[in-house]
Amino acid sequence: MNRILSSFKIFPSVFNIYGFLFLAFLYMPLALIVLYSFNANPINIAVWTGFTFDWYRTIFGGAAVETTFDSAFSESPQRIFEVVKNSFLVAVSAATIATVIGTATAIALARYKFFGKRFYQTLLLLPILIPDIVLGIALLVFFVGVGFELGLLTIIIGHVTFLSSYVFVVVSARLAGMDTTLEQASADLGAGPFTTFRRVTLPQIMPGVVGGFLLAFIISLDDVVITYFIAGVGSQTLPLFILAMMRRGLRPQITALAVLILVFSFVVATVGLLLRNRKS
Amino acid sequence: MITGKTVQSRKTQALLLLLSPITILLGAFFLIPLGIMVVYSFLEPGLYGGVEWTWYPYNYGRIIGWPLNDYETFEPIYLSIFLSSLKIASLTVIFSLLICYPAAFWVSRMSERRKSFVLFLITLPFFANLLVRIYAWLLLLRPTGFINMALQSIGLVAQPLDMLFSSFAVIVGMVYIFTPFMFLPIYANVEKLDYSLVRASQDLGATPLQTFLRVILPLTLPGIAGGSIIVFIPALGNFIVPSFLGGSKVQMTGNLIERSFLQSRDWPFGAALALLIMASVVLVVMFQVVRSSRAQARGAA
Repeated sequence: MNRILSSFKIFPSVFNIYGFLFLAFLYMPLALIVLYSFNANPINIAVWTGFTFDWYRTIFGGAAVETTFDSAFSESPQRIFEVVKNSFLVAVSAATIATVIGTATAIALARYKFFGKRFYQTLLLLPILIPDIVLGIALLVFFVGVGFELGLLTIIIGHVTFLSSYVFVVVSARLAGMDTTLEQASADLGAGPFTTFRRVTLPQIMPGVVGGFLLAFIISLDDVVITYFIAGVGSQTLPLFILAMMRRGLRPQITALAVLILVFSFVVATVGLLLRNRKS
Repeated sequence: MITGKTVQSRKTQALLLLLSPITILLGAFFLIPLGIMVVYSFLEPGLYGGVEWTWYPYNYGRIIGWPLNDYETFEPIYLSIFLSSLKIASLTVIFSLLICYPAAFWVSRMSERRKSFVLFLITLPFFANLLVRIYAWLLLLRPTGFINMALQSIGLVAQPLDMLFSSFAVIVGMVYIFTPFMFLPIYANVEKLDYSLVRASQDLGATPLQTFLRVILPLTLPGIAGGSIIVFIPALGNFIVPSFLGGSKVQMTGNLIERSFLQSRDWPFGAALALLIMASVVLVVMFQVVRSSRAQARGAA
């Protein structure tokens, strides 16, 4: 008698309960922030005193913060708008450059034989694998050493360094599952490498490229550690702004901002993951 | 007329075009910065930040506890912080492994449709902002937080438990953050598990425990090793989680590195600490490479 195998059948409910708890562990903390972002209690966020939209309104400048106690912890809508703008500028530029570089690299490694391929394969995994803090300080030391002024440009360069690897991984997976006969046919019919790429390869890997871009975009938008070291004084991104706010204390305004970021990240990541997983 | 030679040279050109951006990028902004960091770790710290270009091995000496001058005594405080970081990172690996391993079996037995949906649900929190996830646990673990309120209201505890600002809080936070990292490699392995081997073991009279220890566990070991490495590396160097959930009570090497760069401006010492973390990472990865290539060799023989 197969006891282990049958135990899957006899105790599916045990496994299901475990699975449910597992998902609850992942989502309960996030659900709780969403819930408490609507809590009217300004002093203790964890004690429910009523429903309010005020914290969201203060972010968009719709409502002034009423309690003087809280105004010390609140930021003006203009300031929030500025850091959000910085974050988007960085994320769009970094993700775009990383998508071009990552895709080009993925094609080179998937479609060409050359000396040093193994080296590139290992090298490309390193920026994802090494601890963020090490990459952050290495970039800081480098930028200061060569006299680059820290700012949005250094953040973009820093992000491109590790985002290219993410895009490379996503696009490589797409290329690996792709039929190469169409590319060969295109080459046999006299198309150059560039034409073949534009007319045959690119349309097929497009979901992977767009998915990679969106994932890179959201990782850039959310990055804390690397940005923290290479941001310089005048260029704050949204995560750094939240970090500074959190260090001053837990305020309902942060909760509301956190929820907005969470929802945005989840929407973009969902589209990215769907594109990545879409079968051709 | 296109000859074989021009096709070949066009291919080489295309390859060069495709590879040069990544080569320049990772050369200039990854390998050179890492190289500079290695060099800095052997230089003397400048008075107001920066470095003096003199050979200075004492950065590493200080980590081991070597006194810098007559006023200091031998005190391996940085080493003990490093050891406690190793402990916290290892516990994070163990707990996330215990949570994810059964979950991987749960998902692997699902129908295709449900499976892809649940996999999506497990991957999604990875894209939630790190700070938002830490913030959630700050709200949960505080003395006036959700967990304490719940425990008190059902009468389980009289006084709120002091959960925040402890190694416990740091480990909980890191397990939470790294769960998707641990889950996916284990799942990829469990998914491929050949159940005919499990059946054979059972038919030959092995007890369920024996089957698990001698068949299922060895077969899923590569996934366990992969997940453990992917969790261990960022956990070891982490400084954001301990700085919020550990408060001033829990110091990790990451916090020391952050401080030597952004507060005390002792860059060489920070670089030396970062290299200590890199060295541990390299050791762990090397160990895994040797282990898996040995396993492969055994499989081939």
